[in-house]
Amino acid sequence: MVDPIPASHQPRARSNLTRGWPFLPAGVVLLVLFLLPMTVMVAFSLWRTNSDLDVVPDWTLDNYIYFFSEGTYVRTFLKTLIMAAAVTAAGIATALPFAYFLVRYVGQRWQRIVLLAVIVPFWTSYLLRAYAWQAILGEKGALNQFLMGIGLIDEPSRLFVYNDLSVWLVLLYVYFPFAALALYTALEKFDFNQLNAAQDLGARPDQAFRRILLPQIRPGVITACIFVFVPILGEFLTPTLVGGAQGALIANLIINFFRGLQYTTMAAFSFVIAGFVIVVLVIFRRYLRVEDVVARG
Amino acid sequence: MSVPAIELVDATKRYGTSMALDRVSLRIERGEFFCLLGPSGCGKTTTLNLIGGFIPLTSGELRIEGQRVNDMPPHKRNVNTVFQNYALFPHMTVEENVAFGLRMARLGSGETATRVDEYLALVGLEAFHDRLPAQLSGGQQQRVALARALARRPAVLLLDEPLGALDLKLRKQMQVELARIHRQVGTTFVFVTHDQEEALSMATRIAVMSAGRVVQSGTPRDIYYHPVDRFVADFIGESNFLEGVAVRDGARSYVRLGGGSTVDAPADAPPGSVTLMVRPESVSVGPAPATNGEASLSGRVIHVAFIGNHTRVTVRTPAGDIVALRPHSEGSASSALDELLDQEVCAWWSPRDSTIVAHGSTEKIDERLV
Ligand SMILES: Nc1ncnc2c1ncn2[C@@H]1O[C@H](COP(=O)(O)OP(=O)(O)OP(=O)(O)O)[C@@H](O)[C@H]1O
Ligand SMILES: [Mg+2]
Repeated sequence: MVDPIPASHQPRARSNLTRGWPFLPAGVVLLVLFLLPMTVMVAFSLWRTNSDLDVVPDWTLDNYIYFFSEGTYVRTFLKTLIMAAAVTAAGIATALPFAYFLVRYVGQRWQRIVLLAVIVPFWTSYLLRAYAWQAILGEKGALNQFLMGIGLIDEPSRLFVYNDLSVWLVLLYVYFPFAALALYTALEKFDFNQLNAAQDLGARPDQAFRRILLPQIRPGVITACIFVFVPILGEFLTPTLVGGAQGALIANLIINFFRGLQYTTMAAFSFVIAGFVIVVLVIFRRYLRVEDVVARG
Repeated sequence: MSVPAIELVDATKRYGTSMALDRVSLRIERGEFFCLLGPSGCGKTTTLNLIGGFIPLTSGELRIEGQRVNDMPPHKRNVNTVFQNYALFPHMTVEENVAFGLRMARLGSGETATRVDEYLALVGLEAFHDRLPAQLSGGQQQRVALARALARRPAVLLLDEPLGALDLKLRKQMQVELARIHRQVGTTFVFVTHDQEEALSMATRIAVMSAGRVVQSGTPRDIYYHPVDRFVADFIGESNFLEGVAVRDGARSYVRLGGGSTVDAPADAPPGSVTLMVRPESVSVGPAPATNGEASLSGRVIHVAFIGNHTRVTVRTPAGDIVALRPHSEGSASSALDELLDQEVCAWWSPRDSTIVAHGSTEKIDERLV
């Protein structure tokens, strides 16, 4: 009656000595491209820029203190976090139904075509796409033309661009594909018959969604969140092009220090963000538990 | 008469222009082990999905325990399903899978735990509470699916080819298990299969389906020995078909076959052009009929095949080839059948074991299947 289970544990064959070697190339890459620059940055953030704009290796926390003592910086940083969260939320809220519909109701052939259409914008430059949005939302832009055309407004509105909303919208446009692809990959592995099974067992559709679908695509949702949230913390191009004075994010301020050759301040500000990203990743990691990986297999 | 567990009245399901189900009427009594049997694409899964509530009816009516449920969503219906691919929740343990339906029904945690234990014991998986579905064999997953559906104590359990994915040996074992579980819990089972042997051995009643319609429903014996048409006869086991004209001569009725021979017909044979059917195991072969009153044809043995527990003898007669399936008697008897090859013999059967089936309907059904 008890059927045999295939053995899942293979005995460890490799010795401790040889085990590390395969990771050597990756280690070198990590060291050169990541650890080294980071070390320089950490050092800079704890040094001082003198009045001749030279970096002087005097150890100090002044750069960090400066960040937290200036209301504008803290406010802009908080605003950046809120913006990143708002775009992430909107990205998941749009990409999830999109990917769900695509996987569940669209045939294989069309799925591939739609996915391609989602990826195609990546082949054009980011700058070009952001400019395109400026052209759409601007005073003489397509949106105004259209609204005046159908008679909804009499004169061009300036409300569509150079504010937080336009930054949010364009960021959503830019990061939607990342969220969509991450969620598509997760949903593709899901057996939708399970939703019928859940309802058969007395679950309402929303309960089936929450208790059966969501836990199984959680790794995909988290991946999507990271792919959207983290890069937005470093976004400066979109705010520059469609954000105007109101829409600046923290990276815009950092760029300003860079242009003003204030490298030590810049390094410290960057590290505030980097520190935050690390905290976010650690928190997300806790939700990527072993069961999720098993459930996906 | 008591209220039936399931009642379908002219149930129709249309996809665009194609009829997945065409005016199906069924009445499934409480406590039955009811089999839906038919070839691929005949509408078995569609029927189950209608009862489960996963697809809406195009027209007609569906009643569960006397209550019309056409518009009731699946989570409110008092039926549970064992899905063809089991559809276990891979992120939950065996215990959590079985408990899921009970939690949805807001059973207390104590009662839930008791029930989980009870139904895992019923299917012989007491020791597997904490396994994940991926850590179970196919047969064990099947049992979890069964326990999960039964734990809610539904009025009706729907099973869609639950044994289809199992190898032959495990399949036979699970057939016995399922029959035991059905006896033990007493719930109405509606069981889908395209395996006629499975249906015959397990069901209290069978509905044979073809191209979205129920062609015949009845007890296994009924359907096996008195199929309404060639399709049913062909689908359920092997048959001999003899075309001829039925003639009634006083109390006796007989069928005049091709080649000029005549055989006695079953008593209820309607006069006119008919197809006579007789099962191979009802046919005897030998020098002459052992008793009077048998329907008998003479011919030459053209093929003898040893097929393990039986020997299959094919006799060519002027009315067509007749296949007889004979059990081996003790010792030399089997070789006696071997020696029949190329001999002139008689093939005979009792007229009671033959039946008249509807004429030519096999062709019609083939057309509909295309
Ligand atoms: N969603 C659908 N859209 C269109 N046609 C469908 C759909 N679902 C089923 N059909 C058609 O309805 C008919 C009955 O299908 P059904 O799944 O009930 O067959 P089945 O008897 O369960 O077959 P099988 O033994 O292969 O599982 C088939 O011809 C099928 O092509
Ligand atoms: Mg089916």
